[in-house]
Amino acid sequence: MMRAVIPPGLNSKFRMTTSESVLNISGLGYSYPGGITALSDVTFTVADNDVVGIVGPSGAGKSTLLLHLNGLLPQKLPQLADGESAAVDVCGLPMSAGHLPEIRRRVGFLFQDPDDQLFCPTVGEDVAFGPLNLELGREEIDTRVRESLAAVDLAGFETRSTLQLSAGERKRVCLAGVLACRPSLLALDEPTSNLDPRARRGLLKILREFRGSQIIATHDLELVVEHCSRVIVLDEGRVHADGAPDSILRDAALMETHGLEVPLSLRVGGPTNR
Amino acid sequence: MCHRWPPKLKLLLTLAVVFTVISVPIRFWPLHGVFLSVVFIGHSLARIPLVYVARRLAVFLPMLIMLSFSVPISQGFQAGWELAASILVRGTTAFLCGLWLVNVMPFDQLLSTLRRLGIPAILVSMLAFMYRYFFVLWDELDKMRTARRARTFCHQTFWQRWKGSAQLIGMLLIRAMQRAERVHGAMCARGWDGHVRFLDDARSHSARSQQ
Repeated sequence: MMRAVIPPGLNSKFRMTTSESVLNISGLGYSYPGGITALSDVTFTVADNDVVGIVGPSGAGKSTLLLHLNGLLPQKLPQLADGESAAVDVCGLPMSAGHLPEIRRRVGFLFQDPDDQLFCPTVGEDVAFGPLNLELGREEIDTRVRESLAAVDLAGFETRSTLQLSAGERKRVCLAGVLACRPSLLALDEPTSNLDPRARRGLLKILREFRGSQIIATHDLELVVEHCSRVIVLDEGRVHADGAPDSILRDAALMETHGLEVPLSLRVGGPTNR
Repeated sequence: MCHRWPPKLKLLLTLAVVFTVISVPIRFWPLHGVFLSVVFIGHSLARIPLVYVARRLAVFLPMLIMLSFSVPISQGFQAGWELAASILVRGTTAFLCGLWLVNVMPFDQLLSTLRRLGIPAILVSMLAFMYRYFFVLWDELDKMRTARRARTFCHQTFWQRWKGSAQLIGMLLIRAMQRAERVHGAMCARGWDGHVRFLDDARSHSARSQQ
Protein backbone atom coordinates (compact mmCIF):
# COMPACT_ATOMS: atom_id res chain seq x y z
CA MET A 1 0.00 0.00 0.00
CA MET A 2 1.77 3.11 -1.17
CA ARG A 3 0.87 6.56 -0.07
CA ALA A 4 0.83 9.36 -2.60
CA VAL A 5 3.58 11.91 -2.25
CA ILE A 6 2.29 15.13 -0.77
CA PRO A 7 3.96 18.07 -2.47
CA PRO A 8 4.72 20.30 0.49
CA GLY A 9 3.82 23.48 -1.32
CA LEU A 10 0.23 22.28 -1.73
CA ASN A 11 -0.36 21.86 1.98
CA SER A 12 -2.32 25.05 2.52
CA LYS A 13 -1.73 25.07 6.27
CA PHE A 14 2.00 25.55 5.81
CA ARG A 15 2.09 27.45 2.57
CA MET A 16 3.42 30.92 3.14
CA THR A 17 5.18 33.69 1.35
CA THR A 18 8.95 34.20 1.56
CA SER A 19 8.62 37.33 3.68
CA GLU A 20 6.98 35.39 6.54
CA SER A 21 9.32 32.45 6.34
CA VAL A 22 12.57 31.95 8.18
CA LEU A 23 13.72 29.28 5.78
CA ASN A 24 12.82 28.66 2.18
CA ILE A 25 14.15 25.60 0.36
CA SER A 26 13.21 25.10 -3.26
CA GLY A 27 14.38 22.31 -5.53
CA LEU A 28 17.46 21.51 -3.44
CA GLY A 29 19.57 18.64 -4.74
CA TYR A 30 22.96 17.30 -3.69
CA SER A 31 25.22 14.43 -4.68
CA TYR A 32 28.30 13.42 -2.71
CA PRO A 33 31.62 13.43 -4.61
CA GLY A 34 31.38 9.61 -4.87
CA GLY A 35 28.25 10.05 -6.99
CA ILE A 36 25.70 9.04 -4.36
CA THR A 37 22.63 11.24 -4.58
CA ALA A 38 21.79 12.43 -1.07
CA LEU A 39 19.06 14.99 -1.83
CA SER A 40 16.90 15.57 -4.85
CA ASP A 41 14.31 18.27 -5.40
CA VAL A 42 13.72 19.02 -1.73
CA THR A 43 11.23 21.87 -1.33
CA PHE A 44 9.67 23.24 1.85
CA THR A 45 9.25 26.42 3.84
CA VAL A 46 9.64 27.02 7.56
CA ALA A 47 7.67 29.84 9.18
CA ASP A 48 8.70 31.87 12.20
CA ASN A 49 8.33 29.82 15.42
CA ASP A 50 7.66 26.63 13.44
CA VAL A 51 9.12 23.49 15.02
CA VAL A 52 9.73 21.00 12.23
CA GLY A 53 10.77 17.40 12.79
CA ILE A 54 12.59 15.66 9.93
CA VAL A 55 12.22 11.90 10.12
CA GLY A 56 13.31 9.09 7.88
CA PRO A 57 15.48 5.98 7.87
CA SER A 58 19.27 6.13 8.27
CA GLY A 59 20.89 7.45 5.11
CA ALA A 60 17.72 9.29 4.08
CA GLY A 61 19.63 12.58 3.78
CA LYS A 62 18.51 14.22 7.04
CA SER A 63 21.99 15.27 8.19
CA THR A 64 22.97 16.30 4.65
CA LEU A 65 19.91 18.53 4.51
CA LEU A 66 20.80 20.17 7.84
CA LEU A 67 24.37 20.80 6.67
CA HIS A 68 22.94 22.80 3.78
CA LEU A 69 21.09 25.16 6.14
CA ASN A 70 24.38 26.39 7.50
CA GLY A 71 26.35 26.47 4.28
CA LEU A 72 28.58 23.59 5.43
CA LEU A 73 27.51 21.84 2.22
CA PRO A 74 28.10 22.14 -0.70
CA GLN A 75 31.85 22.55 -0.27
CA LYS A 76 31.97 25.54 -2.57
CA LEU A 77 29.18 28.11 -2.43
CA PRO A 78 28.41 30.26 -5.47
CA GLN A 79 28.91 34.01 -5.55
CA LEU A 80 25.47 35.41 -6.32
CA ALA A 81 24.71 38.74 -7.88
CA ASP A 82 22.00 40.96 -6.32
CA GLY A 83 18.51 39.65 -7.00
CA GLU A 84 19.66 36.11 -7.81
CA SER A 85 18.02 33.35 -5.82
CA ALA A 86 19.42 30.13 -4.41
CA ALA A 87 17.96 26.75 -3.48
CA VAL A 88 18.36 27.62 0.20
CA ASP A 89 17.18 30.96 1.51
CA VAL A 90 17.54 31.90 5.20
CA CYS A 91 15.56 34.93 6.45
CA GLY A 92 15.45 36.33 2.93
CA LEU A 93 19.20 35.83 2.40
CA PRO A 94 19.97 33.47 -0.50
CA MET A 95 22.78 31.03 0.38
CA SER A 96 25.96 32.41 -1.14
CA ALA A 97 29.56 33.01 -0.11
CA GLY A 98 28.78 36.67 0.62
CA HIS A 99 25.84 35.96 2.95
CA LEU A 100 27.55 33.05 4.70
CA PRO A 101 28.69 34.85 7.91
CA GLU A 102 25.22 36.33 8.51
CA ILE A 103 23.46 33.06 7.67
CA ARG A 104 25.73 31.17 10.07
CA ARG A 105 24.89 33.66 12.81
CA ARG A 106 21.17 33.20 12.21
CA VAL A 107 21.22 29.42 12.01
CA GLY A 108 22.37 27.72 15.19
CA PHE A 109 23.62 24.24 14.42
CA LEU A 110 23.72 21.53 17.09
CA PHE A 111 25.83 18.55 16.01
CA GLN A 112 25.03 14.99 16.94
CA ASP A 113 28.28 14.29 18.79
CA PRO A 114 29.01 16.90 21.50
CA ASP A 115 32.73 16.02 21.26
CA ASP A 116 32.77 17.50 17.76
CA GLN A 117 31.34 20.75 18.99
CA LEU A 118 33.06 21.21 22.35
CA PHE A 119 36.61 21.97 21.30
CA CYS A 120 37.73 24.54 23.87
CA PRO A 121 39.42 23.66 27.18
CA THR A 122 36.76 25.27 29.39
CA VAL A 123 32.98 25.61 29.18
CA GLY A 124 33.14 29.43 29.29
CA GLU A 125 35.62 29.63 26.41
CA ASP A 126 33.56 27.23 24.34
CA VAL A 127 30.32 29.17 24.78
CA ALA A 128 32.26 32.38 24.01
CA PHE A 129 33.62 30.99 20.71
CA GLY A 130 30.66 32.16 18.58
CA PRO A 131 30.36 35.66 20.12
CA LEU A 132 34.17 36.05 19.83
CA ASN A 133 33.97 35.34 16.12
CA LEU A 134 31.20 37.96 15.91
CA GLU A 135 33.85 40.35 17.26
CA LEU A 136 31.73 41.54 20.17
CA GLY A 137 33.19 43.43 23.14
CA ARG A 138 34.34 41.57 26.25
CA GLU A 139 31.40 42.72 28.44
CA GLU A 140 28.85 41.68 25.82
CA ILE A 141 30.56 38.29 25.41
CA ASP A 142 30.60 37.73 29.18
CA THR A 143 26.90 38.65 29.39
CA ARG A 144 25.99 36.28 26.56
CA VAL A 145 28.01 33.43 28.09
CA ARG A 146 26.33 33.96 31.45
CA GLU A 147 22.83 34.19 29.95
CA SER A 148 23.28 31.21 27.63
CA LEU A 149 24.60 28.99 30.41
CA ALA A 150 21.71 30.08 32.65
CA ALA A 151 19.27 29.27 29.81
CA VAL A 152 20.53 25.68 29.73
CA ASP A 153 20.52 25.39 33.57
CA LEU A 154 24.32 25.38 33.83
CA ALA A 155 24.87 28.75 35.49
CA GLY A 156 28.34 29.02 37.05
CA PHE A 157 29.91 26.33 34.83
CA GLU A 158 32.21 28.84 33.06
CA THR A 159 35.49 27.56 34.50
CA ARG A 160 34.64 23.85 34.34
CA SER A 161 36.75 21.72 32.01
CA THR A 162 34.89 20.42 28.97
CA LEU A 163 36.41 17.00 29.69
CA GLN A 164 34.62 16.66 33.02
CA LEU A 165 30.98 16.83 31.95
CA SER A 166 28.24 14.21 31.70
CA ALA A 167 26.66 13.46 28.31
CA GLY A 168 23.62 15.60 29.13
CA GLU A 169 25.76 18.49 30.37
CA ARG A 170 27.95 18.35 27.25
CA LYS A 171 24.88 18.51 25.02
CA ARG A 172 23.56 21.49 26.98
CA VAL A 173 26.90 23.31 26.82
CA CYS A 174 26.86 22.80 23.03
CA LEU A 175 23.37 24.29 22.96
CA ALA A 176 24.53 27.23 25.11
CA GLY A 177 27.34 27.83 22.59
CA VAL A 178 24.76 27.93 19.82
CA LEU A 179 22.33 30.16 21.77
CA ALA A 180 25.12 32.65 22.54
CA CYS A 181 25.08 33.65 18.84
CA ARG A 182 21.36 34.55 19.22
CA PRO A 183 20.14 32.49 16.25
CA SER A 184 16.64 32.81 14.78
CA LEU A 185 16.62 29.19 13.58
CA LEU A 186 17.96 26.12 15.37
CA ALA A 187 19.10 23.15 13.27
CA LEU A 188 19.42 20.14 15.57
CA ASP A 189 20.94 16.84 14.43
CA GLU A 190 19.72 13.98 16.63
CA PRO A 191 19.52 16.14 19.78
CA THR A 192 18.30 13.33 22.05
CA SER A 193 20.72 10.58 21.00
CA ASN A 194 22.81 9.11 23.85
CA LEU A 195 20.83 10.99 26.49
CA ASP A 196 19.27 9.31 29.52
CA PRO A 197 15.59 10.11 30.17
CA ARG A 198 16.34 12.87 32.64
CA ALA A 199 18.87 14.57 30.32
CA ARG A 200 16.42 14.18 27.43
CA ARG A 201 13.68 15.86 29.46
CA GLY A 202 16.05 18.68 30.43
CA LEU A 203 16.98 19.29 26.80
CA LEU A 204 13.34 19.25 25.72
CA LYS A 205 12.51 21.86 28.35
CA ILE A 206 15.23 24.16 26.99
CA LEU A 207 14.06 23.65 23.40
CA ARG A 208 10.49 24.53 24.41
CA GLU A 209 11.68 27.81 25.89
CA PHE A 210 13.56 28.81 22.72
CA ARG A 211 11.90 31.67 20.86
CA GLY A 212 12.39 30.97 17.17
CA SER A 213 12.09 28.23 14.58
CA GLN A 214 13.59 24.78 14.95
CA ILE A 215 14.42 22.02 12.50
CA ILE A 216 15.10 18.71 14.21
CA ALA A 217 16.47 15.70 12.33
CA THR A 218 15.75 12.72 14.53
CA HIS A 219 14.90 9.05 14.94
CA ASP A 220 13.18 9.88 18.23
CA LEU A 221 9.57 9.91 17.02
CA GLU A 222 8.25 10.51 20.53
CA LEU A 223 10.19 13.79 20.50
CA VAL A 224 8.38 14.74 17.30
CA VAL A 225 4.98 13.88 18.80
CA GLU A 226 5.73 15.81 21.95
CA HIS A 227 7.58 18.83 20.63
CA CYS A 228 7.11 19.43 16.89
CA SER A 229 4.32 21.36 15.24
CA ARG A 230 5.05 19.77 11.90
CA VAL A 231 6.85 16.74 10.50
CA ILE A 232 8.57 16.04 7.20
CA VAL A 233 9.23 12.47 6.08
CA LEU A 234 12.47 12.29 4.11
CA ASP A 235 13.55 9.10 2.33
CA GLU A 236 16.18 8.57 -0.36
CA GLY A 237 16.72 12.32 -0.45
CA ARG A 238 13.11 13.20 -1.27
CA VAL A 239 10.27 14.70 0.75
CA HIS A 240 7.53 12.08 0.98
CA ALA A 241 5.13 13.76 3.39
CA ASP A 242 4.81 17.07 5.15
CA GLY A 243 2.18 17.98 7.70
CA ALA A 244 0.95 17.72 11.29
CA PRO A 245 2.73 14.98 13.31
CA ASP A 246 -0.55 13.65 14.63
CA SER A 247 -1.84 12.71 11.19
CA ILE A 248 1.42 11.72 9.47
CA LEU A 249 2.96 9.64 12.27
CA ARG A 250 -0.34 7.80 12.75
CA ASP A 251 -0.27 6.60 9.12
CA ALA A 252 1.06 3.07 9.64
CA ALA A 253 1.44 2.34 5.92
CA LEU A 254 3.45 5.49 5.30
CA MET A 255 5.63 4.83 8.34
CA GLU A 256 6.34 1.26 7.28
CA THR A 257 7.15 2.22 3.69
CA HIS A 258 9.83 4.61 4.88
CA GLY A 259 11.44 2.42 7.50
CA LEU A 260 9.68 4.05 10.45
CA GLU A 261 6.95 2.98 12.85
CA VAL A 262 3.97 4.58 14.52
CA PRO A 263 5.17 5.95 17.88
CA LEU A 264 3.92 4.01 20.89
CA SER A 265 2.22 7.05 22.39
CA LEU A 266 0.05 7.40 19.26
CA ARG A 267 -0.64 3.66 19.11
CA VAL A 268 -1.97 3.53 22.67
CA GLY A 269 -3.46 7.00 22.41
CA GLY A 270 -5.85 6.18 19.57
CA PRO A 271 -6.43 4.03 16.52
CA THR A 272 -3.89 4.03 13.69
CA ASN A 273 -4.92 4.66 10.10
CA ARG A 274 -4.12 1.18 8.85
CA MET B 1 53.59 25.50 47.78
CA CYS B 2 54.68 25.84 44.10
CA HIS B 3 51.03 25.57 43.09
CA ARG B 4 50.30 29.09 44.31
CA TRP B 5 53.17 30.80 42.52
CA PRO B 6 52.21 33.19 39.71
CA PRO B 7 51.68 31.22 36.45
CA LYS B 8 54.21 33.32 34.56
CA LEU B 9 56.91 32.61 37.17
CA LYS B 10 56.28 28.86 36.97
CA LEU B 11 56.54 28.81 33.20
CA LEU B 12 59.60 31.07 33.00
CA LEU B 13 61.33 29.11 35.77
CA THR B 14 60.80 25.86 33.88
CA LEU B 15 62.03 27.33 30.61
CA ALA B 16 65.08 28.84 32.38
CA VAL B 17 66.05 25.49 33.94
CA VAL B 18 65.54 23.62 30.64
CA PHE B 19 67.62 26.10 28.65
CA THR B 20 70.41 26.12 31.25
CA VAL B 21 70.50 22.31 31.25
CA ILE B 22 70.67 22.26 27.46
CA SER B 23 73.42 24.87 27.22
CA VAL B 24 75.81 23.43 29.86
CA PRO B 25 78.11 20.80 28.24
CA ILE B 26 78.03 17.32 29.76
CA ARG B 27 81.70 17.44 30.83
CA PHE B 28 80.62 19.76 33.64
CA TRP B 29 78.72 16.80 35.05
CA PRO B 30 78.69 17.98 38.68
CA LEU B 31 76.63 20.96 37.51
CA HIS B 32 74.11 18.57 35.93
CA GLY B 33 73.92 16.82 39.30
CA VAL B 34 73.01 20.19 40.82
CA PHE B 35 70.31 20.78 38.17
CA LEU B 36 68.77 17.37 38.83
CA SER B 37 68.74 18.12 42.56
CA VAL B 38 67.01 21.45 41.91
CA VAL B 39 64.34 19.69 39.86
CA PHE B 40 64.00 17.05 42.58
CA ILE B 41 63.53 19.79 45.21
CA GLY B 42 60.89 21.34 42.94
CA HIS B 43 59.04 18.01 42.79
CA SER B 44 59.21 17.67 46.59
CA LEU B 45 57.93 21.21 47.13
CA ALA B 46 55.01 20.53 44.79
CA ARG B 47 54.37 17.25 46.70
CA ILE B 48 54.34 15.21 43.51
CA PRO B 49 54.34 11.52 44.58
CA LEU B 50 57.58 9.66 43.82
CA VAL B 51 55.64 6.66 42.48
CA TYR B 52 53.89 8.92 39.96
CA VAL B 53 57.24 10.30 38.73
CA ALA B 54 58.78 6.81 38.59
CA ARG B 55 55.87 5.47 36.50
CA ARG B 56 56.22 8.28 33.97
CA LEU B 57 59.98 7.82 33.85
CA ALA B 58 59.51 4.10 33.25
CA VAL B 59 57.65 4.95 30.04
CA PHE B 60 59.94 7.75 28.93
CA LEU B 61 63.39 6.40 29.84
CA PRO B 62 63.43 3.30 27.57
CA MET B 63 62.76 5.53 24.56
CA LEU B 64 65.45 7.98 25.62
CA ILE B 65 67.95 5.17 26.29
CA MET B 66 67.29 3.66 22.87
CA LEU B 67 67.79 7.04 21.24
CA SER B 68 70.99 7.92 23.12
CA PHE B 69 72.60 4.49 22.64
CA SER B 70 71.96 4.59 18.93
CA VAL B 71 74.90 7.04 18.69
CA PRO B 72 77.71 4.75 20.06
CA ILE B 73 76.12 1.71 18.36
CA SER B 74 76.26 3.43 14.98
CA GLN B 75 79.96 4.17 15.53
CA GLY B 76 80.87 0.61 16.53
CA PHE B 77 81.13 1.45 20.25
CA GLN B 78 84.27 3.47 19.45
CA ALA B 79 82.98 6.94 20.18
CA GLY B 80 79.83 8.91 20.83
CA TRP B 81 79.58 7.96 24.52
CA GLU B 82 79.72 11.57 25.58
CA LEU B 83 76.88 12.48 23.23
CA ALA B 84 74.86 9.51 24.51
CA ALA B 85 75.35 10.60 28.12
CA SER B 86 74.46 14.15 27.12
CA ILE B 87 71.15 13.12 25.49
CA LEU B 88 70.29 10.90 28.45
CA VAL B 89 71.03 13.42 31.21
CA ARG B 90 69.62 16.48 29.50
CA GLY B 91 66.56 14.60 28.24
CA THR B 92 65.75 13.26 31.70
CA THR B 93 66.12 16.66 33.38
CA ALA B 94 64.03 18.42 30.74
CA PHE B 95 61.34 15.73 30.99
CA LEU B 96 61.21 16.09 34.78
CA CYS B 97 60.92 19.86 34.40
CA GLY B 98 57.97 19.45 32.04
CA LEU B 99 56.38 16.95 34.41
CA TRP B 100 56.73 19.43 37.27
CA LEU B 101 55.13 22.19 35.21
CA VAL B 102 52.05 20.23 34.16
CA ASN B 103 51.58 19.20 37.79
CA VAL B 104 51.71 22.68 39.29
CA MET B 105 49.67 24.36 36.57
CA PRO B 106 46.28 23.46 35.05
CA PHE B 107 46.56 23.12 31.29
CA ASP B 108 44.22 25.99 30.40
CA GLN B 109 46.28 28.28 32.68
CA LEU B 110 49.42 27.13 30.90
CA LEU B 111 47.83 28.00 27.55
CA SER B 112 46.75 31.48 28.61
CA THR B 113 50.22 32.13 30.10
CA LEU B 114 51.89 31.04 26.85
CA ARG B 115 49.55 33.39 25.03
CA ARG B 116 50.45 36.28 27.36
CA LEU B 117 54.12 35.60 26.80
CA GLY B 118 53.59 36.27 23.10
CA ILE B 119 53.59 32.73 21.71
CA PRO B 120 51.75 32.85 18.33
CA ALA B 121 48.00 32.27 18.67
CA ILE B 122 47.96 29.46 16.13
CA LEU B 123 50.54 27.46 18.13
CA VAL B 124 48.63 27.95 21.38
CA SER B 125 45.36 26.84 19.79
CA MET B 126 47.08 23.78 18.29
CA LEU B 127 48.23 22.83 21.80
CA ALA B 128 44.70 23.38 23.10
CA PHE B 129 43.22 21.11 20.41
CA MET B 130 45.85 18.47 21.06
CA TYR B 131 45.01 18.44 24.77
CA ARG B 132 41.25 18.47 24.11
CA TYR B 133 41.23 15.61 21.62
CA PHE B 134 43.98 13.43 23.09
CA PHE B 135 41.50 11.96 25.58
CA VAL B 136 38.74 11.60 23.00
CA LEU B 137 41.06 9.65 20.68
CA TRP B 138 42.39 7.63 23.60
CA ASP B 139 38.81 6.64 24.45
CA GLU B 140 38.22 5.70 20.84
CA LEU B 141 41.37 3.54 20.79
CA ASP B 142 40.26 1.90 24.02
CA LYS B 143 36.84 1.07 22.55
CA MET B 144 38.43 -0.40 19.41
CA ARG B 145 40.81 -2.47 21.55
CA THR B 146 37.94 -3.82 23.62
CA ALA B 147 35.97 -4.62 20.46
CA ARG B 148 38.97 -6.50 19.06
CA ARG B 149 39.49 -8.43 22.30
CA ALA B 150 35.79 -9.38 22.30
CA ARG B 151 36.29 -11.06 18.92
CA THR B 152 39.66 -12.66 19.62
CA PHE B 153 38.88 -16.30 20.28
CA CYS B 154 42.25 -18.02 20.13
CA HIS B 155 45.78 -17.44 21.28
CA GLN B 156 47.55 -15.01 18.99
CA THR B 157 51.19 -15.14 18.06
CA PHE B 158 53.45 -12.16 18.64
CA TRP B 159 53.27 -11.13 14.97
CA GLN B 160 49.49 -11.47 14.80
CA ARG B 161 49.21 -9.14 17.78
CA TRP B 162 51.55 -6.61 16.14
CA LYS B 163 49.56 -6.76 12.92
CA GLY B 164 46.34 -6.18 14.82
CA SER B 165 47.84 -3.20 16.66
CA ALA B 166 49.06 -1.68 13.40
CA GLN B 167 45.56 -2.01 11.95
CA LEU B 168 44.09 -0.34 15.05
CA ILE B 169 46.48 2.59 14.74
CA GLY B 170 45.68 2.95 11.04
CA MET B 171 41.96 2.93 11.84
CA LEU B 172 42.51 5.49 14.60
CA LEU B 173 44.25 7.78 12.12
CA ILE B 174 41.28 7.62 9.74
CA ARG B 175 38.85 8.27 12.58
CA ALA B 176 40.97 11.19 13.79
CA MET B 177 40.87 12.71 10.32
CA GLN B 178 37.11 12.28 10.09
CA ARG B 179 36.73 13.86 13.50
CA ALA B 180 38.96 16.76 12.47
CA GLU B 181 36.65 17.37 9.53
CA ARG B 182 33.57 17.37 11.76
CA VAL B 183 35.20 19.68 14.32
CA HIS B 184 36.12 22.07 11.51
CA GLY B 185 32.48 22.02 10.40
CA ALA B 186 31.37 22.79 13.95
CA MET B 187 33.83 25.69 14.14
CA CYS B 188 32.61 27.11 10.83
CA ALA B 189 29.01 26.82 12.04
CA ARG B 190 29.88 29.24 14.84
CA GLY B 191 31.50 31.83 12.65
CA TRP B 192 35.13 30.60 12.41
CA ASP B 193 36.80 32.46 9.54
CA GLY B 194 40.38 31.26 9.96
CA HIS B 195 41.39 33.90 12.53
CA VAL B 196 42.26 32.70 16.01
CA ARG B 197 40.60 34.91 18.60
CA PHE B 198 41.13 34.76 22.36
CA LEU B 199 38.82 35.89 25.10
CA ASP B 200 41.64 37.97 26.63
CA ASP B 201 41.94 40.00 23.41
CA ALA B 202 38.20 40.54 23.00
CA ARG B 203 38.24 44.13 24.25
CA SER B 204 40.88 45.23 21.74
CA HIS B 205 38.90 43.56 18.96
CA SER B 206 35.78 45.53 19.84
CA ALA B 207 37.83 48.70 20.09
CA ARG B 208 39.25 48.01 16.64
CA SER B 209 35.83 47.45 15.12
CA GLN B 210 34.59 50.74 16.57
CA GLN B 211 37.45 52.69 15.04
